[in-house]
Amino acid sequence: MSANLYDQLVGVSAGVLLMTSVLLVWRRSLVAAVRLLAIQGVALACLVAMIGIFDHDVQLVAVSVLVLALKGVALPLVLDRSLVRTGTLREETPLINTTASLLAVSALTMLAYLVSQPLRALRPGPTTAAVPVGICLVLFGFLLLSTRRHAISQLVGFLVLDNGIAAVAFLTSGGVPFVVELGASLDVLLVVLILRVFTARMTVKFGAADLDELKELRD
Amino acid sequence: MAILVLLPLIGALLLAAATALTRAHVLRRFSAIATSAVVLAAGLGLSVAVLHGSPVTAGGLLRVDALSAFMLSVVGAVGLTATWGGLAARDVVPPDWTYSALICLFLGAMSLAVLADNLGVLWVAVEATTVATAFLVGHNRTRGSLEAAWKYVVLGSVGVAVAFLGLVLVYAASVAAGRPTLSWVALTSSHLALDPSLVKVAGALAVLGFATKAGLAPMHSWLPDAHSQAPAPVSGLMSGVLLSVAFYAILRIQAVVNPVLGTGLMRGLLVATGLLSLAVAAALIVRQRDLKRMLAYSSIEHMGLLALAAAVGGTVAIAAALLHVLGHGLAKSSLFVVSGRILVTEGTTQLARIRGLLVRHPAEAVPYLVGMAAMLGLPPFTLFFTEVAIMLAGFQHGLGWAMTLAAALMLILFAGLARPSIAMTFGAESSEPVAAASTARQGPRTPLALALGVTAVLGFTAGPLPTLLTRAATLLTGTK
Amino acid sequence: MNASALVLATVQVITMIVLSPLLVGLMRQVRARLEGRAGSGILQPWRDLRKLFAKEPVQADGTSWVMSAGPVVLVASSLLVCVLVPLVGTATFPLIPDDLFVMVSVLLLGTVALALVGLDSGSAFGGMGSSRHMTIAALVEPTVLVSVYALSIPVGSSALSAIVKGRLEDPASVAAPVSLLALVALFVAVVAETGRMPVDNPSTHLELTMIHEAMILESSGRDLAWLELGSWIRLGALLGLVGSLLAPWGIASSMTVTTVFVGLVALVAKLIALGSALAAGEVFLAKIRLFRVPELLAGSFVLAFLAVAASYLVVGG
Repeated sequence: MSANLYDQLVGVSAGVLLMTSVLLVWRRSLVAAVRLLAIQGVALACLVAMIGIFDHDVQLVAVSVLVLALKGVALPLVLDRSLVRTGTLREETPLINTTASLLAVSALTMLAYLVSQPLRALRPGPTTAAVPVGICLVLFGFLLLSTRRHAISQLVGFLVLDNGIAAVAFLTSGGVPFVVELGASLDVLLVVLILRVFTARMTVKFGAADLDELKELRD
Repeated sequence: MAILVLLPLIGALLLAAATALTRAHVLRRFSAIATSAVVLAAGLGLSVAVLHGSPVTAGGLLRVDALSAFMLSVVGAVGLTATWGGLAARDVVPPDWTYSALICLFLGAMSLAVLADNLGVLWVAVEATTVATAFLVGHNRTRGSLEAAWKYVVLGSVGVAVAFLGLVLVYAASVAAGRPTLSWVALTSSHLALDPSLVKVAGALAVLGFATKAGLAPMHSWLPDAHSQAPAPVSGLMSGVLLSVAFYAILRIQAVVNPVLGTGLMRGLLVATGLLSLAVAAALIVRQRDLKRMLAYSSIEHMGLLALAAAVGGTVAIAAALLHVLGHGLAKSSLFVVSGRILVTEGTTQLARIRGLLVRHPAEAVPYLVGMAAMLGLPPFTLFFTEVAIMLAGFQHGLGWAMTLAAALMLILFAGLARPSIAMTFGAESSEPVAAASTARQGPRTPLALALGVTAVLGFTAGPLPTLLTRAATLLTGTK
Repeated sequence: MNASALVLATVQVITMIVLSPLLVGLMRQVRARLEGRAGSGILQPWRDLRKLFAKEPVQADGTSWVMSAGPVVLVASSLLVCVLVPLVGTATFPLIPDDLFVMVSVLLLGTVALALVGLDSGSAFGGMGSSRHMTIAALVEPTVLVSVYALSIPVGSSALSAIVKGRLEDPASVAAPVSLLALVALFVAVVAETGRMPVDNPSTHLELTMIHEAMILESSGRDLAWLELGSWIRLGALLGLVGSLLAPWGIASSMTVTTVFVGLVALVAKLIALGSALAAGEVFLAKIRLFRVPELLAGSFVLAFLAVAASYLVVGG
């Protein structure tokens, strides 16, 4: 793969990652959110595969298959099943309205570029140039976690955060050791499964998966 | 020797699997206790091995030095106190197989965390503890426990994810320095020239992430809910040792960051979060109406104190902090076990509704009073000596102002904890006639007696313990 | 340079005056055919203009000179935009900068004139239309500025002709994801600015859903003719701008007869393509509620902003 092609492909994958996360903040439909998350997982897997192919690293290509299976297929499936049970398919009113969220997205993008300066200076190249996208995903994940009320939306925010961290890991250093990667993927899957069970219990006990209902424990 | 390292992990896995597959009553009742005993035995064995020789390694990922051996013993001791103390009477139905199996896995995960040399494996183990305890916190299936479990899992996982970002950046720094590694031993050796600006961001993120798991403010909001809603032995385990394992992770990260950046960043972060934790605990402890929630805030207080000790640095402060970890773990788990028994006999843990325990249930009141005395830092208990040592070390290292502030806050906490405790145990019942002292046993007394006894005696021991602690502290503070 | 610029300006102005009503007619025809109607033919807007120009304007009591001056200002601003935007060629006057900011300011001049016309008659619907129009204008301007700015970063100058010339010389920059992102944002902004679906329905007859139509409710005769012509020329010029940025091929860099002819043909082709696409899209889109419009425009602003950030990255990193 030529360096120029590699540059462009990395840019395209990073672009898709960024676009899906902006759309996740923009749209309020939960079904669309799960689909966008799946697209994001596929884009992340493609990014990892390309880095692996360019660096002739077979292990990284294997990791990309793992990422595809987990983040592109398994996790969106789990979320989809969970969504059907909760009954609401749209996030009703997030804590800050969509326009304010989108302006916050612009501000967070600027922050991400500022913060990733030392990382880009470390090893200038096409992969490190895309690191701000990973940091953007982390910050957008935080935004979703703190401003959404539906349980599934918080889950989606957590997964966006996780995707962002994975993106930063792969872009800065070609990922972490395989054992750690495996353990981390397993942990994320288990956390999502646990939260899915809790969402189901919440729907049964509270009647809706609205996190505003959780306000009994308080000082 | 390597078998001793793998023993707690294999033991935990086997016992959990056996409980899950056979669901035998015996296993359901005793598997958690057995796992704790195995962990304790391995910890003590490894401590002896490390004292007499060099650190033990197993595979490339696990490595036991003085600090790991000590922490493993702490996990075992506190685990044994909580699980043995939480043993129900023989005629009561044994707990659910999921409950026992999850506690075994929980203990195994904590053991893996303290045995790991690879920071990535440490991270995976800490996240695994969140996974294992999620259903334990939500065990009671009430609305409150569901809320507590949700907050716990979300906040814990987000915090640990931030820590992962920090570790990823540490790995990137090591890649840039020419030797890609996440091994703690390799990262702390002076041969690796890590990029300072990268390590700054990485260290801050990792510490903040693990501080979330340790219940340090301002990331503490999950702690009172989770520790008050979980069943008593689980609360004892979480308050007693899980928080300390997260603190252990912070200590390891600090040892990686300080040689590169100097002590400034870590000290600043840890002083800020430590003082904030003490302040939050002091502010909210007086408003507590629930016994277990009050104990949870006390845990936040002690974690804040540990953070301050880590900020001070130096052999004395760190050794005192490690001893504090042990003393706090034993006392807190005993207190939670007693609170579980109080819940059974009184039917409530609301402070206002429990009165005259000393008269009616001395078997509960006496351990409670002794444990509370230990928790408040009264002599002869260990916590008195460790708190004094930390304060003195703080004054010596230029953090006198922080120590003064901490002392003032701890005074408020003393009052906040003592008053309801006295009211609960000595308070006279208003109108009802005084019932005869109940002698019904709510659970084994031995573990409580052992735990509290050890806490009382530890301050005066000589012998291997101080050597172990000093060696562990030197590991962290000096890279000589 | 001055003479060729003058010739080019004349060519562009005359072309747009002639083509814009035809463009609107084409769009209406496409929409009609897709909806299964026969449609009134491409020349209908010209027939409407001819009818309106022959009529004397009737003005309500209490209106002022704004009612008759406003439409003229709108047409003048639209024609000035035709001069500034490189539709057929890229020759420029040395004293009239075809800067991005100048173009946006001229557009704003027309917007304000139209809003004042709506307010002047004092009717409730006119005021409602004007306030909605200004709200959308306030949200659209940053997006137009930022998106064209994103395209100007690789070139280093915010002069529209320089941007188009730069894109003409470097075909790779046309297909770059950054420029596509900026153009998507610009397209959304143009749709909002010119009052097309899904922001405003140009063929609505329900006053409470009107934005553009509400402002011209009280105008008649020649005033209405100027207003309609001005709006159509605006639509044509902005679509021409999008076309020039999206596919700069065919634009005359040097002023000879053949290049100008080629440029004209290219412009006609681009306008037909974009107009038909827009009209076809309108068939399938529903008008979004007014309070959702800020969401849409904020989203397009974010896309433009991301394009700016990313293009700094590509240039700097």
